[in-house]
Amino acid sequence: MPVEVIMPKVDMDMATGKLSVWHVSEGEVVAKGAPLFDIETDKAAMEVESPATGRLHNILASPGQTVDVGKPVAWIYAEGEAVGAPPSGAAAPAAATPVPAVAVAEEPAQPEPATAVEVAPVARAGDGVRATPAARRLARTTGIALGAVNGTGPRGRVQRDDVAAFVAPAAEARTTPAAPQEAPAPATLRGPAGDLAVTTRKGTGTPLVLIHGFAADSFGWMPLESELPRDLPLSRIDLPNHGRSPRGGVRDFSDLARAVRVAFDAAVDGPVHVLAHSLGGAVALALADVRPREIASLTLIAPAGLGPEIDGAVLDGIARASRAESLAPWLKRLTATPDGISWDFARAAMLARNDPAMRDAQLAMADTLFPDGVQSFDLRAALARLTVPTAIIWGRRDHIIPWQHSLSARGEMALHLLHEIGHIPHVECPATVAGILARNMRQASRQ
Amino acid sequence: MTAQDPTLVMREMSYAEAIRDAMGLALERDRRVILMGEDIGVYGGAFQVTGDLIDRFGPDRVIDTPISELGGAGVAVGAALTGLRPIFEFQFSDFAALAMEQIVNQAAKLRYMLGGEASVPLVMRMPSGSGTGAAAQHSQSLEAWFGHVPGLKVVQPATPADAKGLLLAALEDPDPVIVFEHKILYKMKGQVPEGYYTTPIGKAEIRREGTDLTIVASAIMVHRALEAAAKLAEEGISAEVIDLRTVRPIDRETIIASVCKTGRLLCVYEGVRTLGVGAEISAMIAESEAFDYLDAPILRLGGAEAPIPYNPDLERAAVPQVPDIETAARRLARREA
Repeated sequence: MPVEVIMPKVDMDMATGKLSVWHVSEGEVVAKGAPLFDIETDKAAMEVESPATGRLHNILASPGQTVDVGKPVAWIYAEGEAVGAPPSGAAAPAAATPVPAVAVAEEPAQPEPATAVEVAPVARAGDGVRATPAARRLARTTGIALGAVNGTGPRGRVQRDDVAAFVAPAAEARTTPAAPQEAPAPATLRGPAGDLAVTTRKGTGTPLVLIHGFAADSFGWMPLESELPRDLPLSRIDLPNHGRSPRGGVRDFSDLARAVRVAFDAAVDGPVHVLAHSLGGAVALALADVRPREIASLTLIAPAGLGPEIDGAVLDGIARASRAESLAPWLKRLTATPDGISWDFARAAMLARNDPAMRDAQLAMADTLFPDGVQSFDLRAALARLTVPTAIIWGRRDHIIPWQHSLSARGEMALHLLHEIGHIPHVECPATVAGILARNMRQASRQ
Repeated sequence: MTAQDPTLVMREMSYAEAIRDAMGLALERDRRVILMGEDIGVYGGAFQVTGDLIDRFGPDRVIDTPISELGGAGVAVGAALTGLRPIFEFQFSDFAALAMEQIVNQAAKLRYMLGGEASVPLVMRMPSGSGTGAAAQHSQSLEAWFGHVPGLKVVQPATPADAKGLLLAALEDPDPVIVFEHKILYKMKGQVPEGYYTTPIGKAEIRREGTDLTIVASAIMVHRALEAAAKLAEEGISAEVIDLRTVRPIDRETIIASVCKTGRLLCVYEGVRTLGVGAEISAMIAESEAFDYLDAPILRLGGAEAPIPYNPDLERAAVPQVPDIETAARRLARREA
């Protein structure tokens, strides 16, 4: 039997993928593990490797086509194996001849194959983001996902400077810059926020401040953001040594809390809602302790700082991993079951962690904050003093920080213990988390 | 020798004087050159561009033609075909409509249809544009019509120096060239090199360098764009102004390089906006490598979708003015487009 080549799921909230180019033509020999085709996701363009050694036939998706995750795009036949119609029982072979890399990539190759292949509407850019060609070009050369960039142009259009502002801090911090063609413009979004990178999305009403966890960054909120009201104003803070924030300089937890407080004071005006995850949750607790009047509500996802236990091996392993092969096993601990993280997801995650300076800084930070796999800081007293409406969300199958830490919450706080969910509920079940968040924010505004 | 040569002796003269200077030089240098047109002899031309040339070169070389554009143009095409170098003046470019057969079907086609055995080295001067209160039949900007015809070259000088240099370049060209002279510019003065020189056909000129947006303008619009750019500079908006100079063939290289630099393009032209020169430039950019540098939609400012009105206020409103250019440029530069 030929081996099916499918559109892989490389992102938790990915439903479709856009195939951008084939590296192997119809009838050509390909080795297992060799680059087979490229896909474009919201986060990055990435190569998909061949699942088997053999000859590529029955190509169903041509460059530019969008295909449902899990649907076949081609088959690999063993040497000498008879090549027939696509084995799925689909209609006639969609592409018995090599698919030409036509100049008009958005146009589906004709005739339309009567198969499971989904073709994106021609009139619409593949990612659905309103962005100028210059912004798209800069995003391509810097590996930025346009969906994460705050568009300041008409009708939210992402313009070149928006992308430049998004990449600028990271470009400064990298030891070996990815050498974009033009020097990024000054980081306008970052300006007043102290040293940390803060990206904002404009909207109406009380803003929501997002603080991510260890070894994550503001991109990690994307699945959740797609569940939030479109006009909810957002401010995403990148922790030191994370995302586009500078590297170095975290000697202890109070250093970390201070850096975030400075960014918060500079970026935020008036009461805001705060949503924070894991290490970010501990930082948010410290923040709420000293800025109670600035915070309208606090929603914590598996916050650190509520007990000594933490799986230090995972933190260390993620921070240390320099290849997808070493990153994947640790990432699988983040979700309730290992199936939640695919190989391609790990490879995409590794793409975002390809800066050795960032990895070294995070490794040092893990050693400082979690020496010997122990949480060195304790925010239970801050939790006890909290006066703002607070909700705590925890996965009952969290392998990183035990959910039982949530039991230090005071009685009047809302506790949401999610079954069959691991350490990253905002990625595993974003709609549920968004619902809890919305309730907590509503309750706060009533008080 | 070009207008930029620093060794040139400069002299201030008007746009009309510069054209007359060019024609005088051409008549002196080349016995094949003749001038033809209605009232260009004794009367000196409807806009006094030929002036006293009949006194200097006589009625055999400065020829008044009957009031028949088709007939005059036909004689001019024949003269060019048989070895002369005629410069034919249409009193108003609008009247070229009467001579379309000779311009489009004969002058533009003969080199091709005779297998390159013959050519039509004919220069056609066409006073054009609005702003003189001459109403719908004497105020049009028809450069896009002729720019649509392979076999023709179309130039639009915006300065006295280019009016002279482009006319002499047109005379050197082995094929028919149409020179659109903006009527409002005839009295405009500027520094013009003395003696013989040419301004290359097919080369645009950057009149003002800038970084925030590119304004491609032609003829009178170059001056309006420069005036707007000066005001925009006070607001911190840096506009690059390109003087198109040639409509066919368009200088792709200069415009594409500029748009790659600024990421924003505003086309300003007096001809009717729809299917005009700006539409062509806009499409050219969208198809070029500059596409990936665009950071805003391309904007066009062109003439109204109406005949040019006689009422002076309406006449002004029918074509782009300085405030219109400022507003459009602000939209682009401030990302409101």
